[in-house]
Amino acid sequence: MGAIIRLFGSFGLSCTLLILLALLTWLGTLEQVHTGLFEVQKKYFESFFLVHDFGPIALPLPGANLVMCTLAVNLLVGGILRLRRSWDTSGVLVIHLGIVLLLGASYVKNYHSEEGHLTLYEGQSGNAYESYYRWELSIGRDLGGGRLQEYLVPEEEFITQAASGAVSLTSEALPFDVEVTHFMANCRPMPKGPMFEVEVPVIDDFFLQRERLNPTAEQNVAGAYVTARFPDGTHQAGIVWGLDTAPWTITAGGKEWTVDLRHQVYPMPFSVTLDVFTKEEHPRTNMPSLFSSDVTVSEPGASTRPVKIAMNEPLRSEGLVLYQASWGPSNARPGEPLFSTLSVVQNPADQYPLYACIVIAIGLLMHYIRKLLGYMRTEAQR
Amino acid sequence: MRMLRTLLTAAVLATLSLTAAPAPLQADHADHAGHADHAPQASPARQAPWPEEVVELFESLAIQDGGRIKPLHTHASFLLLRLNGKRSVRLEASEDEGLGKQKLNAVEWFLDVLFYPAAAADYGIFLVQNVDVVTAIGLSVDGKDRRDHYSFNELRPGIDRMFQLAGEYARIEEKNRTPVQQQVYLLASNMREYLDLSGHMEFARREIPLGPVAELGALFGDQRSIHISDVVAQLTPLLALRDKLTADGRPAADVEAVSTVVIAASELLARTESMAMVPPSVEAPLKAEWLTPSDLFFKSYEDGGASEYTIDVLRGFEGLAGTTADSAAFTQELRSLHGLLSSRADQRGEYGKIGLELTYYKSKVLDYSHYMFVLAFLLMAFLWLRPKNSVLYTGTFAAVLAGTLLLIGAITLRCLIRDRPPVSTLYETVLFVTGTAAVLGLFLELLNRRRIAISAAAVFGVIGLFIANGYEVLDKRDTMPALIAVLDTNFWLATHVTCITIGYSAGMLAALLASVYLLAKAVGWRRSDPGFYPALGQMVYGVLCFALIFSTVGTILGGIWANDSWGRFWGWDPKENGALLIVLSQLVILHARMGGYLREHGVCMATAFGGTVIAFSWWGVNLLGVGLHSYGFTSGISTAVWSYYYIQWGIVGIGALTWLRERSDRNVPTTTSM
Repeated sequence: MGAIIRLFGSFGLSCTLLILLALLTWLGTLEQVHTGLFEVQKKYFESFFLVHDFGPIALPLPGANLVMCTLAVNLLVGGILRLRRSWDTSGVLVIHLGIVLLLGASYVKNYHSEEGHLTLYEGQSGNAYESYYRWELSIGRDLGGGRLQEYLVPEEEFITQAASGAVSLTSEALPFDVEVTHFMANCRPMPKGPMFEVEVPVIDDFFLQRERLNPTAEQNVAGAYVTARFPDGTHQAGIVWGLDTAPWTITAGGKEWTVDLRHQVYPMPFSVTLDVFTKEEHPRTNMPSLFSSDVTVSEPGASTRPVKIAMNEPLRSEGLVLYQASWGPSNARPGEPLFSTLSVVQNPADQYPLYACIVIAIGLLMHYIRKLLGYMRTEAQR
Repeated sequence: MRMLRTLLTAAVLATLSLTAAPAPLQADHADHAGHADHAPQASPARQAPWPEEVVELFESLAIQDGGRIKPLHTHASFLLLRLNGKRSVRLEASEDEGLGKQKLNAVEWFLDVLFYPAAAADYGIFLVQNVDVVTAIGLSVDGKDRRDHYSFNELRPGIDRMFQLAGEYARIEEKNRTPVQQQVYLLASNMREYLDLSGHMEFARREIPLGPVAELGALFGDQRSIHISDVVAQLTPLLALRDKLTADGRPAADVEAVSTVVIAASELLARTESMAMVPPSVEAPLKAEWLTPSDLFFKSYEDGGASEYTIDVLRGFEGLAGTTADSAAFTQELRSLHGLLSSRADQRGEYGKIGLELTYYKSKVLDYSHYMFVLAFLLMAFLWLRPKNSVLYTGTFAAVLAGTLLLIGAITLRCLIRDRPPVSTLYETVLFVTGTAAVLGLFLELLNRRRIAISAAAVFGVIGLFIANGYEVLDKRDTMPALIAVLDTNFWLATHVTCITIGYSAGMLAALLASVYLLAKAVGWRRSDPGFYPALGQMVYGVLCFALIFSTVGTILGGIWANDSWGRFWGWDPKENGALLIVLSQLVILHARMGGYLREHGVCMATAFGGTVIAFSWWGVNLLGVGLHSYGFTSGISTAVWSYYYIQWGIVGIGALTWLRERSDRNVPTTTSM
């Protein structure tokens, strides 16, 4: 046991892991020239193992996720628990504690954070944001009077299984079961012509054509085949696709139900109205100098307030952070209405990195100023 | 704005309802858009050098270009640098008769192109790197070197082909163009800038002849021909006259004679689109667009009449064009136009930095800083031959100190001119890295007085400012440009960017010191001095620790900035990865040292290698051309970066050989111990 603890706390392990992390970072950077960031991130940085193609040689490597987890253990054991306690090492201890805080921030961000966007034209309001690339299946019924009964299935409950087989979704609230098959992360519905055959089902002369995964994740449009199975043994089949203008509708028990595949929608505790979107360029150039959205934030039961959201000036409110992300349509002519896209991030650890940065800076200064003073003393004596 | 302008032009032409019939001037000017014939109007050659006052007045005129207000001096210098590869023109002896001066500076050249375009067309100011570019546009190249200068007149027969090819190559992505294609493309873009400049004053030189219509005569006091300023002054009456003649059922030729005057003016003015030297009214908001003579014309049309100021400015330009033969009169005209333009810019609060920027460039403060570092370098070389010579030591120290202070002065001036923290572009990182390293070197020298740190500072200064100058000449663009929205934040530029850049600087200095250690040890230099290597090793360690502080804090601050502008702390973007690589490499060295895996020699080898990690992060990732941070992409830097990699790797290799040799030397008596 003692030997294991010594190993996990050793400088040898620290150096090995830091070198491995540096190697992965370097390879992942070069790889971005050929593959998109999203794929590289998954392969090198969010993985436990990977195989890097070094020309003809296939080099197996631990993924950055594994390396960083081990490094965290190494840091805790060697850098904090087993660190010799003295004034000499007090700075080092503070630095290491700061890094633990930083790691905590990344843990919280990874497992307890959501992000998406809210896109508004001037005058429009929104109180929910939409994920850039997470999908959800919505099975719903209009109850009249603007009320909607919705049964929501987040993507982790169906996409993996439905990509290779079939997933059956059942609920007591639904008068039918829904079976999802042939989930495709990027695809496009196409009319089936008489001159070719396809391997997927054809429904009303249409089928889903699989497309190559786009390196920019938010440009992928998912699709799937859905089948509603009724208690009487009959069924109805349809296609759902991320960019459909209208959901697939089925009638059950005299009531009309809709099935829709869409980007996951997250409700916000307040609503945002875009009053004015401003886009400025440096004079006599096409170089942007400023993007900003003047919005009104209204919280239920509270007064409304005007806020300006600009590059580098996000709005932080109720655990959400809203950023000026983009605008469009990019081909708008002068004077035509523009929309503003606000990125929305819900991240409880939003400000941790700042605190970590301060702690680490203090630790570094404590440690190295001591060293510098020592050096100055020796040199002065010489 | 550009689109609005086009629409407006269409509107003006539409109201004139011109059906057919070439206007008297059209034959000369319809060509402009098609670049069919670029003959500058005959203008006599200049007979004497430009008076000093003219040059001084002219260079301190302000122009809005690249999104900011700058002196014409800066504009002219970078334009000439783009065309010619340097900021001066050396004239052939034959062109030079009677001028008494062989070499023109950028402003004098600029004046010549504006006011003596026919003579300036013979100046060999188009630098072509590869003669194949000239043959590609269908010209013969007898007697030209592979890399040579061409005058406008020499290139003129190939201009149409040049623009045609450039249009084709523009459709090819830049990284897929062959070098010749890229150079044709750049030559065409330079040619466009040159044509804009040489045609700029055309509107002020020309007079517009009046047709035989009595009312026209009455409007212009029976002159046979008039200036643009007269047209602009009478724009509303002219348009009213055209309508009246149409309503009265006068012959088409009469109506046309009136329309032609306005059309001729607008077409002559179309060639002034590239130089916005006229400040808008004092009421216009800050950062409003400045105006070209063409803008003044359209503004007068929009406003239903020209302001007195507009007429004065246009007459000012015409006054200059009309007095080129009379030096005293020209100076007088320039003085009054300068007063007109700069006083309004001043009232708008946009002229204040012009003097500062002129001082910055004309004082050549960076050049003097470079000379000081070169001097320090020479003194240092002698110092190491005579280590005990206190005069040489003091001299070296003083020269480094002077170079550093001049560099700090230059950086401070740049901050004041742009109201920005010291580093906001790749070019400025070079200045700042050099300055920081020099300060660190001076500080270390004061601590230990071992002559090593001061020597490193001298070397760093020489190389750093050489790179800065090389970058400027390679990039050929304003080094104080406007910034895109996300970078335009003084808070983050001052914190994150400054920290990271100090990290680069210290890391590079540590790598330099470590390289000195390894090379010196390899050749057995100062082997007799027992304190030399431990002291050097200690300095490497100290500077590395200093680097780690700033790299780490800077990298985390970068994440915090990214979190504030994009909503994520870390995105594995190449520039972020580069910063992380620096931090990781430094952490490895320091932990391996603590763990006993690296001793003095090993730390120096790793630190010398670490220099290439910094070079990769600082320059290398920008060459990859991907990611949010690849703002400084410049081809041609690649060679320099790879040279540095090879040099450092070579030094590490030499260090490894030395280590092996030392180990075998140590092991000679006890060969069995291994």
